[in-house]
Amino acid sequence: MLTDTLAKAILDLEEEQVIVLVKERLAKGDSPLDIVESLQKGMSEVGKLFETGEFFLSELVMCGEIMKDAMEVLEPHLIDSVSGNKGNIVVGTVKGDIHDLGKNIVVMLLKGAGYNVIDLGVDVPIENFVEAAKESKAPLIGISVLLTGCQEAMKKTIDAIRAEGLNTKVIIGGNYIDELVREYVGADYFANNASDGLRVAKQIFS
Amino acid sequence: MNEKVAKLYQERLNRYMTALDCGKPDKVPVSFGIGDWIVKHTENNFQEIFYDWEKSIKAVDDILPEFDVDVFGGGPTLWWPPMWDAIGSKLYKFPGMGLDENSTFQFVEEEYMKAEDYDAFIANPTEWIATTYLPRISTEFENPSSLRGISALIRSSVAFAEYNNYMGASWGKWTVEHGVVGQFTGMTKAPFDTLGDALRSMKGILLDLRRRPEKVAAACEVIVPHNINYALSGAGADTRFPCFAPLHRGSYPFLNPYQWENYYWPSFKAVIEGLWAKGKRTYFYAEGDWTPYLEKIAELPDKSIVFDIDLTDAKKAKEILGGRFCLIGGMPTTLLTYGTPEKVKEQVKRSIDELAGDGGFILGAGGVVMGDAKKENIMAMLEAAREYGTY
Repeated sequence: MLTDTLAKAILDLEEEQVIVLVKERLAKGDSPLDIVESLQKGMSEVGKLFETGEFFLSELVMCGEIMKDAMEVLEPHLIDSVSGNKGNIVVGTVKGDIHDLGKNIVVMLLKGAGYNVIDLGVDVPIENFVEAAKESKAPLIGISVLLTGCQEAMKKTIDAIRAEGLNTKVIIGGNYIDELVREYVGADYFANNASDGLRVAKQIFS
Repeated sequence: MNEKVAKLYQERLNRYMTALDCGKPDKVPVSFGIGDWIVKHTENNFQEIFYDWEKSIKAVDDILPEFDVDVFGGGPTLWWPPMWDAIGSKLYKFPGMGLDENSTFQFVEEEYMKAEDYDAFIANPTEWIATTYLPRISTEFENPSSLRGISALIRSSVAFAEYNNYMGASWGKWTVEHGVVGQFTGMTKAPFDTLGDALRSMKGILLDLRRRPEKVAAACEVIVPHNINYALSGAGADTRFPCFAPLHRGSYPFLNPYQWENYYWPSFKAVIEGLWAKGKRTYFYAEGDWTPYLEKIAELPDKSIVFDIDLTDAKKAKEILGGRFCLIGGMPTTLLTYGTPEKVKEQVKRSIDELAGDGGFILGAGGVVMGDAKKENIMAMLEAAREYGTY
């Protein structure tokens, strides 16, 4: 049970109340980081309810929108703060695919869980994945895909990451993906939804 | 049509019609189309297959003689991009036009209809589409009354008509030469998808369900008669074959049960029932997983749909819908890409054992067959269908 009223407002998806509460706490002089923590607490509850099947994509999308609006209010106050960081994760939609909805949900949940997400966007060239992996030394790379015709690009991206000899795990995420696809493209993990992805991240960073 | 082909056509037609009416034909009907996967077996890239209809049709002509299917799903492309290019559509990117020449087409999702447009849309959807929406999504039609706008509309319409004529002639030829039966005539959508796909966008409509649910319900309701008329006019007078209904946000887990029952289902049910009242069946193309909604779907009038099993639990679909509605599926699309001919054959046998029983079943791939599906797997599926599919 959440005792934090801001976290509870997120869980209840009360968008107007969330903004009011964020502004109130800023006015009271609360640290912006503490406020972010409350938001994350609420979001992580939303994630749990999604995992157990009580919440659906419509709730996740609404939660993402509320978080985005709340972060807009907080951003100017956060500039000098360094947020708690569990580690780097590189995320992007595979080359040839311009879909970002699934990726954005995962990015939101990962950020909410305290990871530093390097979001490469959509239609990401293979070399951008490799470059970001080298630069960030991220232990986990997430490749999002919706189009079934993009397997070859996914395989090539993973091959290129492996060819660099990087000690990084790769998770592929997308609605249609299964064990057969994972094996074919040579990924370490696969996820059909955002909460599976979150579980894998938790496992790798623990 | 020569006598041999005419006989073949009649056999296949009977098989399809009998299964659609939940009966038991002589053999389990097989349904399959030529998808993106054919491109790599031609000398062309995606752009050529999309833009040059002669090359696209040739790809079908070349393979049909060895393609033993009862119900044929058509050629490798959904439509001809020049009709979109002529009007400067922002809705799509096509191979070689904003995308790699070997990538398939993609939809560019935006909130093309804004939240504040609801009232105008609900008051008169046709007028709003013609005067606000089309100019908004078409660079060449930004000013509908300008010469440029009018000529773009004419060019796009001519392209559409030309393509339809060409496709009509091709279908005629395929039927006469190879005796294949077309899968459907006409198309429709769930009103919630009409509103959510290309108007409000996925995110827009999901937020609307919380912020302005009454507008969503009202908009879906005004779409119902349009989606009935569109299906019937697109199909001409035909009511033998079902109309295609590609479904999106109704699959699990987009909407919560309350939203599904109150915002997705009522207007779509009204479309299906409206079509059925005119004798037109709906091809319920249930991409994704629809398992949680099977009981509600079962409320539809008997035989009013043919239900396509993609990720829906096939056994439950059989248990809940079987006998009252024809089912199609039994071949996971991933198996066609990553499986082997042996595994595909085993799956065909298993699916026929589990689902074909007392009829009302068509063997097919659930959902869209992937571009990298292997031809040898598809051929193994068709072969096994004949091997195990005699009742």
